[in-house]
Amino acid sequence: MNSPFSDPAMWSRIQFAFTITYHYLFPQLTMGLAWFLVYWKWLALRTGNEKYDLAVRFWVKIFGLNFAVGVVTGIPMEFQFGTNWAGFSKYAGGVIGQTLAMEGMFAFFLESAFIGALIWGEKRLGPRYHFLAALAVALGSWTSGYFIIVTNAFMQYPVGYHIEADGSLGINSLSAYLLNSWAWIQFAHNQMAALVTGSFAVAALGAFYTLRGLHLEQARMYLRSGTVVGLIASMLVAFPTGDQQAKLVGNHQPVTLAAMEGRFVGGSMAGVAVIGQPNVAARRLENPIEIPGALSFLAYGHFGSHVHGLDDFPQESWPDNIELLYYSFHLMITLGTIFIVLMAYARIQNLRGRLESSRGLLWVLMLAFPFPYIANTLGWMTAELGRQPWLVYGLFRTSDGYSKVVSSGDTLFTLIGFVGLYFVLGVLFLGLVGREISHGPGDALQAEHGKEPSV
Amino acid sequence: MIAAWFAITGFMLIVYVALDGRNFGAGMLHWLVARTPEERRQVIAAIGPLWSWHEVWLVGFGGTVFAVFPKLLASAFAGYYLALFLILWCLILRGISLEVGGHINDRMWQEFWDFVFVFANTLLAILFGAAAGNLARGVPLASDGTFSMAFFTDFTPRGNVGLLDWYTASVALFAAVVLAAHGATYLTLRTEGLVHDRSAGYARVLWAAAAPLLLVISIESAVVRPDLLGHAMYNPLWWVGLLLVCGAAITLISGLAARREMRAFIGSNLLLAGLLGTGAAAIFPVVLHSTLAPENSLTAYDVAAGPNSLAYAAIWWPIGFALSAAYFVFVSRQYAGKVSIKRDNQDFY
Repeated sequence: MNSPFSDPAMWSRIQFAFTITYHYLFPQLTMGLAWFLVYWKWLALRTGNEKYDLAVRFWVKIFGLNFAVGVVTGIPMEFQFGTNWAGFSKYAGGVIGQTLAMEGMFAFFLESAFIGALIWGEKRLGPRYHFLAALAVALGSWTSGYFIIVTNAFMQYPVGYHIEADGSLGINSLSAYLLNSWAWIQFAHNQMAALVTGSFAVAALGAFYTLRGLHLEQARMYLRSGTVVGLIASMLVAFPTGDQQAKLVGNHQPVTLAAMEGRFVGGSMAGVAVIGQPNVAARRLENPIEIPGALSFLAYGHFGSHVHGLDDFPQESWPDNIELLYYSFHLMITLGTIFIVLMAYARIQNLRGRLESSRGLLWVLMLAFPFPYIANTLGWMTAELGRQPWLVYGLFRTSDGYSKVVSSGDTLFTLIGFVGLYFVLGVLFLGLVGREISHGPGDALQAEHGKEPSV
Repeated sequence: MIAAWFAITGFMLIVYVALDGRNFGAGMLHWLVARTPEERRQVIAAIGPLWSWHEVWLVGFGGTVFAVFPKLLASAFAGYYLALFLILWCLILRGISLEVGGHINDRMWQEFWDFVFVFANTLLAILFGAAAGNLARGVPLASDGTFSMAFFTDFTPRGNVGLLDWYTASVALFAAVVLAAHGATYLTLRTEGLVHDRSAGYARVLWAAAAPLLLVISIESAVVRPDLLGHAMYNPLWWVGLLLVCGAAITLISGLAARREMRAFIGSNLLLAGLLGTGAAAIFPVVLHSTLAPENSLTAYDVAAGPNSLAYAAIWWPIGFALSAAYFVFVSRQYAGKVSIKRDNQDFY
């Protein structure tokens, strides 16, 4: 019975991890791009300049495809709480059901009522209402993000609950639950990261068209907006939101912080490892290069602060995949730092008027767009691997949460089904987005003269 | 409180079926009412911009059930594991078929996605119908409140049942006919020309076929669950549901006969509401009936969240619902009248 095939919790975890990771590739762009649409729509309304309308008409096609894949891959997430995590749903449904339902009632209804108007309604609605449709979709997508993050924050740092007579959880204070301090900080961190994804995509397409010598007026706009938002958002991801997030982990999940940093032995003047490989069997970090005292300072405010090591905690409370957690966290930080440097350099070159002629930098900007997706994914891996072995931190273990009546073979079967279906979705998405990119936004002059080629 | 939440979640399910039923019906009839590429675009345009708005009511319904009846979601979803994933995959294919089909103006591309659209919608109508049959018949619920079910066992609706048996299969057939009729009624309202005329013809035929099937289903239900009728007779809402069915049928028939498309469509929606409402009133308070032993059955009271959770939900749900009703008015106005398939990327879907 020790075969990995016979562990249903494992397969349910992998299925959830796969489907949520794939799903979240789409909403992060939706949430980031939505504000670009609102911004351009607003400029079009204020200035009457056709180029902003062209930009919206072009990006809304990519946005629409992205939104659609986000919708269809999102529905399996809600279903899986019942299908694969019946134990968890039974235990915590009285609490987390609230936010999942509120997401439907307050966010999805808003988004889906106005997405059609945003994509197909420019003429019918007129500029003012079309702007409002863009705003409604943007607000809907961020509201949706907030409710999901409140749900996750409860799993990381449960507040506002009480234990019912049958041992399950119920809401004690809805406001405490909704205003969980962990949720605010995680939301800020996550939304800034979504803006990074959106702005890198905008800048990348600007770079692509500039390199090609196509749609130059549009490309200039994309490069400028993309790098401005990209720089601001990349900095906000690190400070204050990322910094505050790490402090929360240090205060409420000290064992997780120790694992993220690969610290086995506790002590003061704890360093941050820039490089190093955790060896869990030997309980040490191998080949480390450390910045002494940095972790003590970052986590608790003083270089002399004591930082716990994994050895201070019983092994059954350790996250169950320390290596993956360590690498996810460190790679996320590295990428985040590179993003700031890249965008700052691109801004300087843009201000000096040299960005459009620096082919090397344009190539880098173009090829950089996948990396925010990777960094976002690594961030969520850090959060979720770091939460283990708990489903609800300190209250309910992952090993108690899966559906006992579902066999591991059934879960593996549906997991394979998702892999196949999502592969097809990915090919379709990339193909169709590629088609839109090759059609391009056109230029304002061209639009005045003749017909834009229709779809 | 718990009875009210049962009614509210039942109402959300009704809204979902009335809205997405249009897609299922239009999908099943797609090849029959529309033959040329232009005609097919008319059907797609009647559904396309609205599918996510329709589908989101399933999410709203599911989320509300999770909030107020979490243990129902836990028990039923795990028990129906494979069937639910089949539904999920069909929902994914259906959405994608609408979303990407219109993106490339190429005959083969659109023919392929039309096929996916027809296939996924037909399977969804049958699966949701079978699910409704399962709720009436019951599931092999053990004493610990869990079950795990095969697609089919020996096709009898007793004891260790499967998803499909002769009873649930006939409910599925009935549901497919009713949803196809609903879709035909919707297409009559939203299309013009040949698609409109064929849809009107199918609406009459399918609704006429639904009437005897309803009689058969009612008799079958009395055989499979002899306890239901005696129980339902004491629920005043069951009588309200029956009245709604009769009123809706009169509205629908008079609308079809007088070619008043809006009246027929309202009747069609009310009829779905009446049928589902009558069914829900008949089974209440049981939400999952056990075919193994009646004492294993789960009632709404067994599966409800704690009193605080229900009280909080009673605060935010009405606000969320009022907002969604406002969106409903906006969407209905946006998409009132006949569809247009002009290819200027604005009106065209």
